[in-house]
Amino acid sequence: MIRLEWKPIATGTDTDARLMNARSMLQTAIGVEFGTLPPYLYAMFSIPPGENVEAAARLKSVVLQEMIHMCLACNILNALDGKPVMTPPVYPGPLPGDIGPPGGKPLTIRLLRFSEEAMKQGMSIEEPVEPLVFPIVNLLAAAQPKAITIGELYDALDQLLASLPPEAWIKDCRQIDDSQFFAGQLFPVNGYEDAKRAIHDIVSEGEGAKDTPLDFQNEVAHYYRFGECFYNKVLTKANNPKGYAWGPKTLGVDWSKVYPAIPDPCTHDFSKDPPAAKAAQLACDRAYSQMVDELQRAMTGEIGRLGNAVRAMFDLRMAARVALTTPLADPSLVAGPSFRYSPLNAGGQS
Amino acid sequence: MSVLETPRILFSGQIAWDPIVTNNNEPFYNEDTSSTVFPQRVEDIERKVAEFRAEAIAAVDTVTTPDGIVKWSWNPDGTHRSSFFNSSVSGADHGQGGDLCADPFVAAPVNFLGMLVDLEPYGAYTSQLFFDAMSLGIAGGCRIAARRSTRMTARYINFNRNPIGWKAGGASVVFQTCFGKNDLEIDAFNSPTLQALQKALEDDDVLGLTVQFNAYRTVYYDCPEIATNHPGVPNTKALDPQSAALIAKLTGGGFQPNPARSMMVGVAGLWRTGEPVNEPCDRVLLESANSPVATAHARLTGDSVTLDLSNSISETGLDLVKQDLGDLTVVAIDRNTEKLTKLATFGYAEYDRTAYLRTSGIVTLKVDPATAAAAASMDLQLINSENDLLLDEAALRVLPLVPNLYMSTSATALAEFQVYDRGVPAGGGIEVTFYVMRADGTPEGQQFKLTTTDQGRVRFTLAMGGGGRINAYVSVPGPNPVAPTADGIDPQVNTYLYVRVLPADKDIALLPATWENVYTHVLANWKAMAPCMDNWLDLSNEAQIRSFGPMIKRLTDKAAFENYRYMPVTRDLTEGQRTLLYNFLDNAAPSVTSSETVATAPTFAERSRLLRG
Repeated sequence: MIRLEWKPIATGTDTDARLMNARSMLQTAIGVEFGTLPPYLYAMFSIPPGENVEAAARLKSVVLQEMIHMCLACNILNALDGKPVMTPPVYPGPLPGDIGPPGGKPLTIRLLRFSEEAMKQGMSIEEPVEPLVFPIVNLLAAAQPKAITIGELYDALDQLLASLPPEAWIKDCRQIDDSQFFAGQLFPVNGYEDAKRAIHDIVSEGEGAKDTPLDFQNEVAHYYRFGECFYNKVLTKANNPKGYAWGPKTLGVDWSKVYPAIPDPCTHDFSKDPPAAKAAQLACDRAYSQMVDELQRAMTGEIGRLGNAVRAMFDLRMAARVALTTPLADPSLVAGPSFRYSPLNAGGQS
Repeated sequence: MSVLETPRILFSGQIAWDPIVTNNNEPFYNEDTSSTVFPQRVEDIERKVAEFRAEAIAAVDTVTTPDGIVKWSWNPDGTHRSSFFNSSVSGADHGQGGDLCADPFVAAPVNFLGMLVDLEPYGAYTSQLFFDAMSLGIAGGCRIAARRSTRMTARYINFNRNPIGWKAGGASVVFQTCFGKNDLEIDAFNSPTLQALQKALEDDDVLGLTVQFNAYRTVYYDCPEIATNHPGVPNTKALDPQSAALIAKLTGGGFQPNPARSMMVGVAGLWRTGEPVNEPCDRVLLESANSPVATAHARLTGDSVTLDLSNSISETGLDLVKQDLGDLTVVAIDRNTEKLTKLATFGYAEYDRTAYLRTSGIVTLKVDPATAAAAASMDLQLINSENDLLLDEAALRVLPLVPNLYMSTSATALAEFQVYDRGVPAGGGIEVTFYVMRADGTPEGQQFKLTTTDQGRVRFTLAMGGGGRINAYVSVPGPNPVAPTADGIDPQVNTYLYVRVLPADKDIALLPATWENVYTHVLANWKAMAPCMDNWLDLSNEAQIRSFGPMIKRLTDKAAFENYRYMPVTRDLTEGQRTLLYNFLDNAAPSVTSSETVATAPTFAERSRLLRG
């Protein structure tokens, strides 16, 4: 785990030190965004085609936005001449930066099939603080690790980035734009204003705002989308002081309409499972590792590699579908992708 | 009537277009036979596919074969997916006046995802968007959720809209579809306009909702500047850096789409009985010769005239500032005396960029009731302050009920048209002349006449023997029809039906249902032409194809043709190919049942073709 290391801005007058801190925090942010993808994907993949349609659509939209968030965080780090590293998370395990619900313990993230528990976990990951009561510096200075929200992480990051001099920013430095994917949502970062916008978009899409569950595009923020799944209720405009209520319309969630996927397949011993199940896991690992390698190349400025990463993602989706329909030794169970990384290419992450 | 009636919802944003364009090229694709043109120099089908792909990629930089055939492309890895982005409700007009932006529905996101597929792939006359649903607003909030009743169809291409950018970027176009009441869900909450819309939908005369949008200022390679100096030239050198970069990506593997992007304004309004589904109706004011204003539609009521100028007035540059034509006046003309009656005048502030975004190009003007009553039976015109004629009403109009028709050589189909008289269905006894056009929109030389029924309709049966082909039928009403010129279909003036006749391919249906045959005659076409279909399934992997057989059958079913996920996305699966594929998937025995050089002044047909590069 990459521990969030950040010294109070007020005492940090050394530009180099602040730059180093900013890069470190950005790497943490990248790790957080990356780390949310496998659990969200695991839940999404576990929904068979045509089942839980509304919930699947919400999960898919969250997954796509998390990918964009990761790219934006990489863009900011690259603009500061940092080198993003795609560190494959391990599950069960924590997210970098002690992410968790406000005031609680840092989360231990698990790979769970679409379930109330998985949706609750999504809510915990995305949970906003309203209002932000404690300054980040106090939270981070505490002796015992306490959870901070993703919003708090980005708020601290924004403060730190704002303190950097203009010359810290490099124009057109290994940026990924929306020319191929994510139209209108992925943009280059060439200075603090761009970075601030990126952070605003990320936090807004994850948590909404202080007084609304909607993000800056008036779509429901991630925390509340998970809430809709968890409560099986559409978040609906209501004539009450909060302006919204859960329901009455339902999302049509049927928790039984999922593949019977075991939790945390990375902790499962596949040695006693049928060859087909082992092969399916191997295919998942291969596709995932390929995706990580391609992301690493894409995020460090290699032209066109995002397309390769997307292609690997398609392969992972197909491999996951096979795995989730291949019985284990206990024929009533299947396993989704373990999201295990093993180096594939010389140029890839190791 | 229609979107020119209130209540109506206005929206604006952008749309991304990601079509595969390899089949826009005759050397790569035969649109008559609906087949991929594989290289002949190799025998093995897998090598044919590989070499085809390599050539499709190389064509990004424009290649000339030893035979002198020009091949070009800008998106060999497309997906056909087209989606709105950065799009939201921009105004809501419940007809009571006041601020269009005051409605709480304003700023709600507008979401649309469709597959852009041209019935006639070489040209630009027949774009369509196949989709399943669209939404204005989100679940739980003010919202219109609409399930598709019929695909969106493009008409009224304005080749002169944006003389900036590159090729197709210069044109704008109107897309339209309608949604039946039963396919609509409206959550009005505290939106007066949605409440008014709900109320209006209770009227028996209202069938549902019409949604129309205008796409303009299209940018390719994410680079608005690439072709300012190279309009319409397929092998322009100005593209070198972009095409080289795309080729580098494509040869590096992976999935490398190169979507184009357009600006977009749109409107949703009432769909009434008798109104066409796929193209605007109301009264049509055609562009006059050399007019800077393109064809518009208009509605005259007892005290107002409403003009839809969404597709009509050009932007002057990349900053999208609208052309300033000064004050414009709507007049009514007495054709017997040539006397003009002024209805209303409006200035630049009513059609400049700000107004365009605020109103989606719809301008409503007050008219003196007595003048409006007198003008009701006269033709409308738009003139400028110099009295130059810009737009001139054509009272009679003939619109196909289904504007783009797919059929097989082994079947018959009915082509049906509705004649309108000043925007409302006409009666019997009106002569309609049909001009048969080639696939590129130029005249084939044949014509025939029909007379309307009492309901103002004409129909004829299409029975196409022989091989596959594509034809258009231009329909002109009245006793003195003006035939399309050798320039081809003028989409600002002509209304037309396009018919794509897919070959029956009975010989393919009779082939033994082996993997080799099904791959060679069906799947290899898809893998070569539309690798996006390979994103989830390896089309050259027999085991995968067999294991996903039931899903493939669902996706390729005739009944799924209108669906977003229909396979093949290019919608050119012939009956014979389907039979062979199903015989293979069912493991059954075979059944017996079943580039252009650019002229200095390109014609409309040529311009249609040129939009492809």
